[in-house]
Amino acid sequence: MPLVAGIDCGTGFTKAVLLTQNVGTGQITIVSRGKSRSGINVDEAAGAALNDALARTGAARSDVDYIAATGFGRYNLSFRDIAITEITSAARGVFFLNPGPNAVLDVGSQCTRAISVTDQGKVREFKSNDKCAAGSGMFIARAAKYLEVPLESVGELSAKAAHPHPISSVCAVLAESEIINHVSSGVKVEDILRGIHDSLAERAGAMLKRVGMTDGITFIGGVARQSGMVTALEQRLKVKVNVPEECDFVCALGAGILGLRRLASRN
Amino acid sequence: MRIAAGVDVGSTQTKAVLLQENGGFKIIARALTQTGANVQKAAENAFEECCRAAGIPTSDVGFVVGTGYGRYKITFGNAQMTEISCHARGAQFLCPGTRTVIDMGGQDSKAISVGPSGEVLDFMMNDKCAAGTGRFLANAADVMGLSLDEIGPISLQCKRPVKMATVCTVFVESDILSYLSQGKKAEDILGGVHLAIAKRTVSLARRVAVEPLITMTGGVANNIGMVRALEEVLGQKLQISPDAHYMGAVGAAIFAMEKLGQSFESGIWRDAYATSGGH
Repeated sequence: MPLVAGIDCGTGFTKAVLLTQNVGTGQITIVSRGKSRSGINVDEAAGAALNDALARTGAARSDVDYIAATGFGRYNLSFRDIAITEITSAARGVFFLNPGPNAVLDVGSQCTRAISVTDQGKVREFKSNDKCAAGSGMFIARAAKYLEVPLESVGELSAKAAHPHPISSVCAVLAESEIINHVSSGVKVEDILRGIHDSLAERAGAMLKRVGMTDGITFIGGVARQSGMVTALEQRLKVKVNVPEECDFVCALGAGILGLRRLASRN
Repeated sequence: MRIAAGVDVGSTQTKAVLLQENGGFKIIARALTQTGANVQKAAENAFEECCRAAGIPTSDVGFVVGTGYGRYKITFGNAQMTEISCHARGAQFLCPGTRTVIDMGGQDSKAISVGPSGEVLDFMMNDKCAAGTGRFLANAADVMGLSLDEIGPISLQCKRPVKMATVCTVFVESDILSYLSQGKKAEDILGGVHLAIAKRTVSLARRVAVEPLITMTGGVANNIGMVRALEEVLGQKLQISPDAHYMGAVGAAIFAMEKLGQSFESGIWRDAYATSGGH
């Protein structure tokens, strides 16, 4: 059975998924996952994520038959067999987890994307923002820093907000002084965090409408781990938000699936 | 002799200027403080420091006009004016013939179309994005490990400006880091940074009429790299007063002096300013 790695070289983290496929039935199985922090050197981060995934299986690097790279740093990954855009990977990954047409929202560290996926798992349309930090995970990370809240606690805290406090600044940098003003005037940290999630949800909603939103969306990327963001999206967009398990590995998964297909056609 | 003051409470710095009427108008003192979290205190500090510098008690000041984003927090002010009006008026005073003002401050940037007597005809403002503000440049300097004062002169050495993928103040960090790791020269990176911001600012300015003379105001006017980049994109020279950083406060002080019941003619101001010797 072939062993294929999908590696998503993101701006914040690098994610690797190992996949295999039953040659007879065509059944795809996820073998393991690995993760590392992205740095300046893409090869290093990808190697670390892949080794992390391999260590969970007992397989060796030489057992990997094919490597499909995706994400911002994919072209800088020297040991790739193929580079696939993160849009295509996201669509394929979501379709595998949730077959049928989908509206996908992917919020990562530096890039936010809205993708509409056909009933065949293909990309119909997408919008992406990687030019401005206001709609990205980086906005939340910076806000968490000013508020002295660990990033892992942001989602839970925000979900607890009783009186979400709106953030008027669109810019992630200019919002800093606004956040500090809110803190000094006694607004609760969870209410500010939820205000930030609301602001992101607003921007994401505009992108989703442009690609065509269905009554439900699939929310992936690292920010999808934050329950407050999920609540903000559900309340603002009035849609059902489905978050797959291991939501930050979906692009790597999609790349791996396309890698399996490419490998099969090559053999 | 009548004395009037202008206090410009900006998002980053607070500026105060004292104007004296003595056969013309003369700037007799200036003060600059960090705005910080206590806006009211920053305004008081700047005003008091300015009076100390002039050697007069604060009670000698006949009228105070406040401007800038914190103007309504100035407790001792007699009136408030928008910073748009103040920059236009100040620019017309210090750089006569000004028809367009490009103001780049700590956290916003503006383009103002100015009439012959310093009145505002139209304006465009960017306060939704930190690109084109001092904050952006401070961030870029930080990533490069340089001080804000150094980046302008270094950018002038640029031969091949890099192309910035984004002008987002947050994302520029990774953009700069990746250029540094590719071994690009500091001057070429900074040249690219200044050029990207200049293009963005000029496109803001083109939404109002860009007519000569063009005067640049605000703290970023101290950055020679930004001045040259703007001139390159505009295809014409900018007027830069030595008091460019204080322009909002200067305009406010002129309005304050007017309120004190003075009338004057622009020729007299100009001569008076020339003899005051700027800084």
